[in-house]
Formats: sequence, structure tokens, C-alpha cells
Amino acid sequence: MSAIGNTLYQQFGAIRRWRLLMVSAMAVGVLVMLCLDLWAGPAGLAFSDIVTGLIDPQQLELRHRIILWDVRLPDALIALAVGAALGLAGVETQTILDNPLASPFTLGVSSAAVLGASLAIVVVPVVPFFAEAAVLPMMALLFALGSGVLILMIVRWSNGARETVVLFGIALVFLCNALTAGLQYIASAEAVQQIVFWTIGNLTRAGWPEVAMVGACFVCVLPFSLRHVWVMTLLRGGEAHARSMGINVARLRLWVILRVSLLAAFAVCFVGAIGFIGLVGPHIARLMLGEDHRMLVPGSALCGALILSCASFLSKALIPGVIIPVGILTAVVGVPVFLGLLSGRRRMA
Amino acid sequence: MTRFTARGISAFYGRKHVLDRVDLPNLTDNQVLGLLGPNASGKSTLMRCLSGEKATEGKITIDGTSRSEMGHDGWHHRLASMPQTPPNPSALLPTELMWSTARALGFDISDQELGCQIEDIFKRLGLAEVALSPLHTLSGGKRQLVGLALALMRDPDVLLLDEPTSALDLHWRMVVLDLVRERLAERGGVVIAALHDLDLAARYCDRIVLLHRGKIIASGTPSEVLTPANLARVYRVETRVTSDEDGRPIVHVIRPLRDFEPA
Repeated sequence: MSAIGNTLYQQFGAIRRWRLLMVSAMAVGVLVMLCLDLWAGPAGLAFSDIVTGLIDPQQLELRHRIILWDVRLPDALIALAVGAALGLAGVETQTILDNPLASPFTLGVSSAAVLGASLAIVVVPVVPFFAEAAVLPMMALLFALGSGVLILMIVRWSNGARETVVLFGIALVFLCNALTAGLQYIASAEAVQQIVFWTIGNLTRAGWPEVAMVGACFVCVLPFSLRHVWVMTLLRGGEAHARSMGINVARLRLWVILRVSLLAAFAVCFVGAIGFIGLVGPHIARLMLGEDHRMLVPGSALCGALILSCASFLSKALIPGVIIPVGILTAVVGVPVFLGLLSGRRRMA
Repeated sequence: MTRFTARGISAFYGRKHVLDRVDLPNLTDNQVLGLLGPNASGKSTLMRCLSGEKATEGKITIDGTSRSEMGHDGWHHRLASMPQTPPNPSALLPTELMWSTARALGFDISDQELGCQIEDIFKRLGLAEVALSPLHTLSGGKRQLVGLALALMRDPDVLLLDEPTSALDLHWRMVVLDLVRERLAERGGVVIAALHDLDLAARYCDRIVLLHRGKIIASGTPSEVLTPANLARVYRVETRVTSDEDGRPIVHVIRPLRDFEPA
């Protein structure tokens, strides 16, 4: 890529335009995947019915309308919202902790959510003014947010030392896992099965309110992430350089981890601990788009949404009549894509 | 016209006193100050104190105004420092690093102007060929040059360089320091560089400060500071110092001194 007759500005512009094209292609991919996800399922709706039903619901017969709008659309949209939230949270965690293995799950947020959910399943607390079905996600959310608060306290206390934050996060994972195991030990066989089922991750529990909550969380957080794209990009050059420019890395770390905790807490509390997307979504985006966070941040959210949507489609399409829990499939879908990109990159290098 | 002063600089790591009331000579336009000293003598800490990154006792001023009077942004507008570690070997492109730095720091110029400015700096530092290659494909020396490019792009009045040439080969060491000198002649300003290489220091610095265990052992012109006695005391080596045709000292290291030999 040497400069021959072209200014650096022009060459850099060409790279950026190519990346913008890739991001647009990802967005189109997400839309296509959404339609496929809506189409898959046992009711035998034709693909054209789905498109017509989305544009003009009145044209569908009532039965199909209910299936499309009240069952499939919330499931498909929560896949996008959760995937996007985890993709965004993942890329921000990896950059702010300068650790390619980090994800919102490394911070203990999802383990805490599992602990909260397990407690709800085993103890079955009765909370006034709350429907029984809402108690479980609420407990998961509270525990996830609680772990976020703990992490934030650690970030403040350690003045943003990233090793301390990662170590504390991992310690928190072990603690939550141990407590969950303790609950399982005393729980009935049925409750254990429920916990396991919740932990695997499942999209079919979601309705419109859940879609709205996760979507709103993502939409509220995204502008703050976009506001920090420049400084996050330069942070990829190393903390020492960012500090030398007068950037307060400790304060930045506090803000980013606050955002990440919120995203991860809302993402996992309704659908269970769908791991892996927050880890691999950003890496796939990075392999395709590079490190410029102007592209990487939206790209990572789109990648997350795409992987989870694809997994959701496969969960219904693989074995007709059976819905495989989507948490099992995210890794099955994501790993080959990731390995393919990685080996492609090796060959090019 | 830039004046830079630093008086009574003390710094601690926990309870450990790492800098003890260090006074730097006052610097005015076009001057290069070299900080010399063995490992752990406090050079890097002093650099971090001067840039405002590490809390310190003492008074540091640019044109008579301290950092607290000038404000955080104002201070970093006039002073840029290049840390010892080169930029991380990530997949980031050098151009992206420069670009995002300019935008994160709120440079008020158009994209096209910024592109030209980055290209110009890269050409001067021999980085034009790798401007769009990921940092992890670059050698340590090239990455160090990218680090220098980051500091130069900010066009500061006070430029702090922490071992700017440690990863560079002979050719690029001289190119870099020539460039720093040229830049001073063009636009004025002062440079403070922590260096390991005594001959480079003698060649490029107007003033030298010799640090040892957080204290100043000697301060003055290169020929005043680079004496066999000072070098034996600080570096524990036996040396012979001659001078070149311009009167600059040349240090010939003969052998390390053993612990029991008087320094």
C-alpha cells in the first residue's frame, strides 16, 4: 500500500470508504437475517407472507398475524437487541481493558445474572406489585447491576488499574458460580433443570416489553459510545500515549465500564447467559474493519446482532418442529466464521 | 519566545522518595536539555512530573505560568511528551492513530489539511511507506518513530522526549535528533530529552543534567558535565573524555568499575 501518485489523505479515504461499505453490508445482512429468522418456524408461513405481514399486517389472516407480530417478531428483535448490546459491550471492554480475552462476561456481570436468576428459581420470592414471571428477570437484572456497581467501585479504588479490574472480574465470576452451585446443591431436580435451561440462554421468553427495554438501553448507551470513538481509537495505541496527551484514562475507564455493565445486565437478564457474542462479535468486526472505532463500534454491534440472529434462525430451522436453545448455537455459528476469518487473515499476511 | 522552568521537583512512589528537590536549569527558546543517568535514576519519573502526568511538589512553569494557572487543556496545548514505550503493536494503522489523536484533542482543521499534515510528518520520519500498515507489522524502531510523530503533530512549544532513540539504529537516531534540532530552528520552543547515549547527548544538547538516585549530580554544558569523575560516580564506569574539532566531548568507555573501587 505504498504511496504512488496518491496522497495519504486519498488512500486513507479509500480505506475508510471500503470499511463503510462493509458496515453497510453488515447492516443489510442483519435485515436479511431478520427476515429469515421471522420466516423460520413450524407455522408454515411463506416468505412472501412475512414481507407482506410486516408492511401491511391487515393483509394476513388473524392467526398468522398473531404468530408474526406477537411471537416471532419479539423473539427476532430481542435477538438483534441482545446481540447488538453484547457486541457493543464486548468491543468497549476489550479496548478499555486492552485485553483481547475480555468481554462483559469477564467482568462477572453474566455470572451475577445467573446467580440472581437461580435465586429467583430456587427461592421463588413473592414481590408485591410484581407478576411472578417478572420476578426472575428482575432478580437477574438486580444482581447483574450489583456486580456492575462492585466493578465500578474497584475501578475507582484501584484508580483504573486494568489488571486489578480483570482479576477482580474473574474472582467475581468464580464467586457467583460457587454460590449458584450451592443453590443448585440444595434445589429440587426440577429447579436445577430450570436453572440449567436459563443459563444456556433462550430467546423465546421475550415479549414486546423486554424488546423495548433492551432496545432502549442500547439506544441510550450508543451515543455515549460514539462520542468516545476518537479517544478509544487512540487508546489502541497504548495507555502511556493516551496519558501523555493529558487524557484521563482512569475516568474514561469508569465511564466505559458503567456503560458496559448496563448493556450486559439488560442483555442477559431476559434471555439468559448467552456468552461468546461479546467476545467474538468484536473480534470478527475487528478482522473485517480494523481498529478505527468509528467503524468498529457500529460494526461490532452489527456483528453481534448478526451472529445471534443467525443462531436464532438456525435454532428453529435445523430440526423442524424443535427449538434448540440459542445459547448452544451461538458458539456453533460463531466459531467457524471466526476461524475462517482468522485463517484468511493469516494467508494474506 | 518560550521559557520553561522547573524548581524543587520532588516525587514519591508510595513512601519512596524518587525525586528529591530537583532544579532544572531555566530553558529559553531553541535550547535542548538532556537528562542523563543510569537506570532507576528518576529520569522517566521526572519526565512524567514535567508533563503533569504525575503529581509533584515544586513549581513548573511555561512562560511564568504554572499548570494549575494555565488549566489542563492549555498546558497540554503547549507541552507534548513522548513516552518511553512505543505505541502498542495492535492492528491500528499509524495514520488512524494520528488521525484519532488529532480529533480526540480537538484539532480545528479540515480532514484534508490533517491528511497533509500527517503525511508531511510521516515523510520527515521515513514512515510514509508504512503509514497504512498495521502497527503490529512494524519494527519496534518504526513504532517508536510513530510515537515521536504523535508528539510532533501536536506542534508543542515544550517537547519532552523520554528515550526517543532507544529502539532506533544509528542512522535513525541521528535523523531524529537532527529533525528535533531543525524544528527548533524553524519554530522555536524547548526540548527536554531523557537519553541513554552519552555521545548523542554531547552532540545534540545545549545543557545536560546528570541524575543519580533522584538527585542532580551535575548540571551545565556537555563538557562541564561529562567528566570522568562524574561518569564514574553515576554510571560506575572508567572513561576517558576527549573532544572533537567543535570542542564537544567524546566519551570513551574503558571498563566497568567494581563495587569496591572508589568512584
